Amino acid sequence: MKYLLPALGTVAAVSLFVFSSQNQTAIAVERASHSETFQQLELFADVLARVRNDYVVTVDDSDLIEDAINGMLQSLDPHSSYVSPENFRDLQITTSGEYGGLGMEVTSEQGLVKVISPIDDTPAKRAGIKSGDYLSEIDGESIVGLTLTEAVDRMRGKPGEPITVTVLREGEEEPLEITMVREIIKRKVVKHEVKDGIGYLRISQFNEKTEDSLKTAVKALQKEMGNRIPGVVLDLRGNPGGLLDQSIKVSSVFLSGGEVVSTRGRNKQDTQRFNAEKGELLKNVPVVVLIDGAAASASEIVAGALQDRGRGLVLGMTSFGKGSVQTVIPLRGGRDGALRLTTERYYTPSGRSIQATGITPDIAISAIPESEVNKSARREADLPNAILNEIKDQDGSDDEEAIAEVIIDYPEEGFKVEDDYQLQKAIAILKNGSYAKLLASAAG
Amino acid sequence: MKTPSRAFGLLGAIILTIIFAPLIVAKPVPSKNAEVLEQLEVFAHVFSLVRENYVEDTEDATLIEDALNGALESLDPHSHYVAKKDFQEQQKSSRREYGGLGIEVTLENGLVKVNYANPDAPAARAGIKAGDYITAVEGEKVLGKTLDEAVEGMRGLAGDPITVTVLSVDQAARDITLTREVIQGRAVRHRMEDGMGYVFIETFNHPRLNIDFKTAVEELKAQAGGTLPGLIMDLRGNRGGLLDQSVHISGYFLDGGEVLSARGRKPEDTERYNAERGELFEGMPLVVLINSGSASAAEIVAGAIQDRGRGLILGRRSFGKGSVQSVIPLRNGGGALRLTTQRYFTPSGKSIQGRGIVPDVLIASRPDTGEIRERFREDSLRNALTNEDEADYQEDYDAIDYPPEDWPLTEDYQVKQAVTLLKSYKYKTLLADLNNGTTP
Repeated sequence: MKYLLPALGTVAAVSLFVFSSQNQTAIAVERASHSETFQQLELFADVLARVRNDYVVTVDDSDLIEDAINGMLQSLDPHSSYVSPENFRDLQITTSGEYGGLGMEVTSEQGLVKVISPIDDTPAKRAGIKSGDYLSEIDGESIVGLTLTEAVDRMRGKPGEPITVTVLREGEEEPLEITMVREIIKRKVVKHEVKDGIGYLRISQFNEKTEDSLKTAVKALQKEMGNRIPGVVLDLRGNPGGLLDQSIKVSSVFLSGGEVVSTRGRNKQDTQRFNAEKGELLKNVPVVVLIDGAAASASEIVAGALQDRGRGLVLGMTSFGKGSVQTVIPLRGGRDGALRLTTERYYTPSGRSIQATGITPDIAISAIPESEVNKSARREADLPNAILNEIKDQDGSDDEEAIAEVIIDYPEEGFKVEDDYQLQKAIAILKNGSYAKLLASAAG
Repeated sequence: MKTPSRAFGLLGAIILTIIFAPLIVAKPVPSKNAEVLEQLEVFAHVFSLVRENYVEDTEDATLIEDALNGALESLDPHSHYVAKKDFQEQQKSSRREYGGLGIEVTLENGLVKVNYANPDAPAARAGIKAGDYITAVEGEKVLGKTLDEAVEGMRGLAGDPITVTVLSVDQAARDITLTREVIQGRAVRHRMEDGMGYVFIETFNHPRLNIDFKTAVEELKAQAGGTLPGLIMDLRGNRGGLLDQSVHISGYFLDGGEVLSARGRKPEDTERYNAERGELFEGMPLVVLINSGSASAAEIVAGAIQDRGRGLILGRRSFGKGSVQSVIPLRNGGGALRLTTQRYFTPSGKSIQGRGIVPDVLIASRPDTGEIRERFREDSLRNALTNEDEADYQEDYDAIDYPPEDWPLTEDYQVKQAVTLLKSYKYKTLLADLNNGTTP
């Protein structure tokens, strides 16, 4: 089973990994260049022996191997990495949802970990961590230059264990040291609400509970609104993704049968198509999907499927652009850790790859006034080493100009972020009768 | 011969007058025991999984190269793998004259940062200065590249033009086109400074250093009328070079005895380097200027002069690169290994690694603005080899003598203070105090 690695690692948002044992058997086939490969491995062994013998201090072999594997994998792309045996066990704990965290969404910026937002009622929120804070140290140890995954791993731990983070905050001259106690972060995966006569559904991540929670939420909405839902807003903003199969199930709430996504590995014949289940829960209910630059992977699959199938309007800002699938391959049943390897790309029903380009909204609307837009917000294509979009690659065309011509609707200066300009616009479209026309023109 | 190497691995590639002297270790590859084999099996397993399952085609040699670098770079900032083609080029570069820009760089925030611009080289003449960032080479962004990859594009033959995009703190990014030159800097620059001799040594990697230094001091002596009342040896910004040159220069001021020792993991690998007998500049009062940019071979000289009580060290704490790298060629043309194999120690047995040399007299070059006082040094590098000595080595910021706030930019406060020190009785008393305090 596949999962889509959250593009922006999150501390609180649990990514649920499902492990494959089938993949372990797929390795025995040797290619023609057997002796060349052997020579390469011999070179590796030589170096290892040299380091063991001659390095200025004693080194641990398994650390060395781990660093070598990481060096190899991380140079492939930003989402491939080695999972040490210890972290592999943590991953399994993560799957069960029982791990301690701090409760904040983080991203990586210029080698530092940046807080996107603390989550309500979590240690981070209570300790006063703020959006925009930078974390430079964990328990007195510098995390500058670590990968986001490594930094996030260090923040996690047993519930009840204390942790001290060093925070750099704009306006503060000295770094702040903030001590918190890890606790189990439970986050509602799906939130629902009736807003202004419109159903509002927010999915914060795609884990094993997402489908059930969404269905429960939809039923609750139907009950509250007397089975007459004039329209729903599906909010995927800031949702970093998660499990691939959950994105199919979420799409199935809106689509009856037909393709949601296809994945393709190195060999073209490995194409796999994933179809929606028959009988959608929200039949014929108008949908506006909200996305932004932090909506990634599984979120982009849902947005792409609804957009390509003409099932809904996509509103907001261009999504992150993570169009690759990672497979977790345990090594010796996890005793030697595991491999998190990019094995496939995925494509929307019309055959588009979203890798590095993202989903372009039908209606471009910014959450914040133009003057406040941080032009350097990170997307997949900005990650060092990101895989290119091969479709764009091939025909040599560049959509940049076209993108530059998209007219973005910005809120007025001074508009409060809390008032959610994008959501207001989405509700307005669903209520003022322009939905059908906009949907038709988006499809045309 | 060993190269204590330059503080930032790659600098040699750009400075280009460097002769790389690899240490060929003739030891056989040690036998691999069962545990190592098991570790290798894990690696081989991963390697084959990647080859078979990755989303795109992979190249065996590239995978191994990245793996080796992953392993070696995690050891310390100065160890890395040199791929076959780079190794061949390195060997070539000791015979061929490459053209360079005359800058020393490091990687910071994913960008190439200029640490030093040789004033007589194309970069400095075109206005590139220390602290600038290079964001692109020939239009190709450096973000996301390793330092090796980034500087690769800067190398070339003398006379060839090159365009770099430069970002300064106070200026927008701009393209600057330069013509590469063979950087043939003078080994030393010298002058009389208010009655005292002054010699600046830019690098310990200059084939004429020993002779040029000696000639410079003789000239200054002649200018002073036969006897030089004092000499200032300026090692600020000197990033090191060849170990034997540092031993040789130290030897002009010492009559035999230890200059440094280099120690590996095993006691039998310890090597001691002694000054030559016969002190050329016997009794000449000496002040050595250092700052946070003084590294490696420069720290060896300062450490020897300080430990042996031969002169006073003035300035700021030095960089702290106290490790020796060996270049080990791998069989079957597999490139080479640049591996940290030893640390070096001053004559009193102190390791320079991570802490550097703390001056006897702390003097800053610029007024204290209250801004960040810490400087970028070896111990700022993530992953740096640690020093086993845990004694406090930080500078006492409050004890630093800062120039007054209106001190003109064109005046060198540290040199001025060095001259003042040499002229006053304080030089002798301070040196005597230090010697009484440190020698049993």
